[in-house]
Amino acid sequence: MTKKKSGIWSFFASVQLAIVLLSLIAFFALVGTLVPQREAAAAFAEHISPALFSFLQKMQIFDLYHSVWFILLSGLLAVNLIICSLDRFPLAWRRFRMKHEPENEDVFRDVPEENTFLANADVQAAADEALSLLRRKYRAVERADGEQGVWLCAQKGRFSLFGVYIVHVSILVLIAGAILGSVFGVEGYVHIPEGETAEAISLRSGGQPLPLPFAVRCDKFTVEFYESGMPKTFQSDLTFLKDGAAVRTAKLLVNHPVEFGGFRFYQASYGAAPGGKATLALAQDGGRRDVMNVAQGFVFDLPGGEGTFQVLRVEENLMKMGPAVKVAVTSRRGEEAVFWVFQQIEPIKKMSPDIFEQVPVFNPALFRPYTFSLLGLEEKYYTGLQVNRDPGTPVVAVSALLLIGGLMLILFSYARAVWIRVAPSENHVLVAIAGRSYKNQPGLQKEMQYLLAELKDHLEKRQ
Amino acid sequence: MIHTTILSWVTFLYFAAFVFYLFRMILGREFWGKAATGAALAGLAAQSVALALRWRASYDLGFGHAPLSNFYESLIFFAWTIVLLYLLMERRLKNRSIGVFVLPVAFLIMAYASIAPGMNQRIEPLIPALQSNWLTSHVLTCFMGYAAFTVAFALGVMYFVKKAAGLKPGVFIRLLPSEFQIDELMYSCAALGFIFLTLGIVTGSVWAHYAWGSYWSWDPKETWSLITWLIYAVMLHTRLVRGWRGRRMAVMSMVGFGCMLFTYLGVNLLPSLHSYMS
Ligand code: HEM
Repeated sequence: MTKKKSGIWSFFASVQLAIVLLSLIAFFALVGTLVPQREAAAAFAEHISPALFSFLQKMQIFDLYHSVWFILLSGLLAVNLIICSLDRFPLAWRRFRMKHEPENEDVFRDVPEENTFLANADVQAAADEALSLLRRKYRAVERADGEQGVWLCAQKGRFSLFGVYIVHVSILVLIAGAILGSVFGVEGYVHIPEGETAEAISLRSGGQPLPLPFAVRCDKFTVEFYESGMPKTFQSDLTFLKDGAAVRTAKLLVNHPVEFGGFRFYQASYGAAPGGKATLALAQDGGRRDVMNVAQGFVFDLPGGEGTFQVLRVEENLMKMGPAVKVAVTSRRGEEAVFWVFQQIEPIKKMSPDIFEQVPVFNPALFRPYTFSLLGLEEKYYTGLQVNRDPGTPVVAVSALLLIGGLMLILFSYARAVWIRVAPSENHVLVAIAGRSYKNQPGLQKEMQYLLAELKDHLEKRQ
Repeated sequence: MIHTTILSWVTFLYFAAFVFYLFRMILGREFWGKAATGAALAGLAAQSVALALRWRASYDLGFGHAPLSNFYESLIFFAWTIVLLYLLMERRLKNRSIGVFVLPVAFLIMAYASIAPGMNQRIEPLIPALQSNWLTSHVLTCFMGYAAFTVAFALGVMYFVKKAAGLKPGVFIRLLPSEFQIDELMYSCAALGFIFLTLGIVTGSVWAHYAWGSYWSWDPKETWSLITWLIYAVMLHTRLVRGWRGRRMAVMSMVGFGCMLFTYLGVNLLPSLHSYMS
């Protein structure tokens, strides 16, 4: 044990260091919740002097969780954990391998009165009874018959000796997973209007957009609301394309990410995209009325063949006068009329009766003999997707399992050995119980009392 | 609604239990202790019924989610876990003297939930991000942990009360467990809380992984739960390896409790993903 105990080694093997490091990490984490971080730091800059701000920025105070300080502390913690575990593991291993001899007078030296009883039985019978009782509750039970009686020894819970190491290793795995994620991971987002395709994502860390090795199309976005107006579900119908060919379609919902090509897609947000669909009605003087669904950029022939019209813009709320569509009509002779078609034209006319004289482009009947009217807009959405790639996630998941498993092992089990000695005592037998555990002596004492009571009970029943 | 009425009775029962525990302490008669345990048990049973009814009611409204979705519901559940944990401990230890430190906490939480201004007691549907079973297990395990830390805190207070009484203890003080026992219990509660908080953080990360796209994003609530977790990790190490006991452990359990409270309540003052709680 003394071979490698240099100064550095014992520094890194010490639990004092662990306590200091854990406290420092907690402290830095705390500071990070009080000082504005990343994007929020810009607003904070106005409240302090520029010199102080740039000094703090150099010290990476505004991105603490990714700063050298944090990396340094995590690194020191990792070294601390490794050295400490290497330092102590041999001891745990020896304890794990330790074979207890049944015949052991030492453990019975200071047995308290309450851990013994006198029974009216013969030594062999009492020992057999004790043996079968121990066999029911422990793994390895050994027996030794000696001059002064019978010794039994049982062991249990040896694997919990490794609980602490599993917990500590899990922290190392966690740190490894976090590093993997921060070095090779990608965190980005993309907004895709319905019907459109994206081939690159913007990165949270800023800089150039990252091209994807495939394309994503948002075929449709749907949002449902509760009666109160709170959103109930968001859903994007996505198609993934490789070299222009659809490879996979998927429905993306909040809490149900979709994985494709090494990236994970999350439904993060949505919003209204410009250029939705509109329903237009075209009435001709004298009767015929056509209704058609149009969208920005569409070109139609007029029903009477006088020319064509094109939808230039679809606006949800133009100049606070409600939905409107901008239309350009071109006659066969090449004359062009451009005007807006408002959905709520009647209220507008009521407010200012001679609006068409003042603003001719608001007149939906500018091209004779047609009168356009806008029956309604169908909103078009964009879907906001979070796009991530984190090769560290499975590693972190493993660390979480190790951590929980290790803690369970520590909490629900402990290593102990129990001895029972059955010795003749005049015309009775004296039964004594003793035990050893590295921790949880009170728990062991309770367990022994319980064993003793049961044994006593069995022996009394035999008579 | 019926569950609201039951809950106001529960508040009253917890208060009664506290008063009875106090009588037991002052008068030193076990009769009052039994009455207190009875009141606490009745309160716990009634509260369980109320929680179940509230759960049912959310299905009748067409949302169908566990009653763990807003601040009000979390307070109610918090009080429930505290009393549950306490009663389990009372049974195991066959000692009623901790109740006088624990029941007032449960009572105050219930009272706060029912009278705090601006407290939204309605059953409401969940926004999409909160519709997850991981979230339910997250809240469940976190509050189990919080409850264990709260009992550890109550034990810390008890430790100081016992110490302050000094060498001339009255009946009241003599009924308390020994300083050694208080210390052992405090450690057990902190260790139990540590496991549950670990589970809470892990389930929360899994949920965040599915909902937001990354298992950890240094949101203030996440960060504060990490701080709390680290404080209790330090507490475990100082005890197991450095051999800290008694007063130092009591101080640690109070510091940890303070961090836990800030994680639960204080963080709402900071901008956060978790601000749905307010
Ligand atoms: C976040 C990091 C850490 C966590 C979660 C953690 C967790 C734990 C837990 C739960 C125990 C209790 C084991 C038991 O009850 O038997 C423990 C014990 C211990 N830890 Fe840590 N630990 C951490 C970091 C460290 C570090 C950096 C060291 C380095 C010196 C260390 C050294 C020890 C030692 C020496 C013990 C006592 C083992 C024993 O009882 O034999 N821990 N740790």
